Amino acid sequence: MDLHSEMILAEYDAKLPLIERLQTVVKTTLSDAIDRNGLIVTAVKTRIKTRESLAGKLALKGSKYHSINDITDILGARVITFYTDDVDRIAAMAEKLFDIDWENSVDKRRLHDTDSFGYNSLHYICRLPKTIIDDPELNAIRFELQLRTTLQHAWASINHDIGYKTGVEIPREYLRQINRLAGILEMADDEFSRIRTEITDYRRRVQQLVQNGQLDEVHLDGDTFRSYLNARPFDSLNRRIAALNQAEIQEVPLDNYLRVFIALDCKTLGDIDQMKKRYEEDAYTLARHQLGNTDLDIISSSVGIQNICIVCILAQGWGKTGLTRLFNALNGDNPQNVMLADMTYEQAKNLPFMKS
Amino acid sequence: MTTTISNNGNQLIAAFAGRLDTAAAVQTAEDVKPLLEASNKEIILDCTDLEYISSSGLRIFLTVRKEAAPHGNKVIVRNINADIRQVFVMTGFVSLFEIQ
Repeated sequence: MDLHSEMILAEYDAKLPLIERLQTVVKTTLSDAIDRNGLIVTAVKTRIKTRESLAGKLALKGSKYHSINDITDILGARVITFYTDDVDRIAAMAEKLFDIDWENSVDKRRLHDTDSFGYNSLHYICRLPKTIIDDPELNAIRFELQLRTTLQHAWASINHDIGYKTGVEIPREYLRQINRLAGILEMADDEFSRIRTEITDYRRRVQQLVQNGQLDEVHLDGDTFRSYLNARPFDSLNRRIAALNQAEIQEVPLDNYLRVFIALDCKTLGDIDQMKKRYEEDAYTLARHQLGNTDLDIISSSVGIQNICIVCILAQGWGKTGLTRLFNALNGDNPQNVMLADMTYEQAKNLPFMKS
Repeated sequence: MTTTISNNGNQLIAAFAGRLDTAAAVQTAEDVKPLLEASNKEIILDCTDLEYISSSGLRIFLTVRKEAAPHGNKVIVRNINADIRQVFVMTGFVSLFEIQ
């Protein structure tokens, strides 16, 4: 090793505590910003180039560097996202957070010719601005930020493992196969992003239909049922029931009623809403009959929806069998559900909604 | 009113006996504290000898349930009598607990 390279290595040794400090600040800044923007990523990683790796780099092209500050990847940060769109989002975020050295930054995704596939990743060379930390020594050190998707990361890691680990040149035939896979993964990345966008659009459309009351047009499934529940359609009934005993209402999830409504042959949110309108008053009557003579001053927010289902089942003439199926759907198959059904039937049997 | 807590392998069993009314609730809430601190257990609320439950008792059951999920516990209510079963249906608590 020449003297010049040895001097850079000595500089590395001296600056290592500073680089370690930079590592902490960069990782915290990135992680906090990702959280603040509500983004979910696979990983935020940082690494400091080892002395051995730096020595190797200097041995190859040491004359290119005047000082340690010329080496742009002495600290590397990597954010691995689920979706390609998120790479661009985090890139925009990084542009606001850090000072970007555009001359040395490169978007490898755009380097490929139309007929070539391979390494895809966005590399930014950055510095910490004074707005994050005002320390001339820290502000002077550049670091490399790599942004890529999980699939791009998988390809790059496997390619690195196959291509470099053995130190043996890979025959063209195998290189072509590896690069072909990069093309497939690029397609998969685009598909994942497209599917996510379509699901988001679908949810937005459903929310709009729910807000506009066009419930008949919304097919019943887990997503749409959640949108319907977000509009809190059973609150007014729950409040009326709670008022009977000045009870407090304990909020509980109502998602498990989806399978009950499906079993009751509801096909759209409109079917549920019609059922609610049809049986709401009878559901209140049932609650008044049950709770009126008690001092129970706590109910769950499922009591309204539960009573609507009970009334619907009994009004249809499905009796104890129907109630047992209701409790089985809610609580799982259990012999106790037969007793619950018997008891509920006995309580309701003289109420006006019972089918004669 | 008595509450007896016992361990049975992966299960933590709280056996209630008597009337869990407002007067008994303060002591019972104290007695079930080990259930709130447990992790990765199946918590059995054994009601074989529980004669009655008031709103205060339901609040205790609810607290056990609320604390269970973040600690990786599962809560099962076992052997409730007809009156208590009625209370669970009337209040909507029936869909909150696995009842055996």
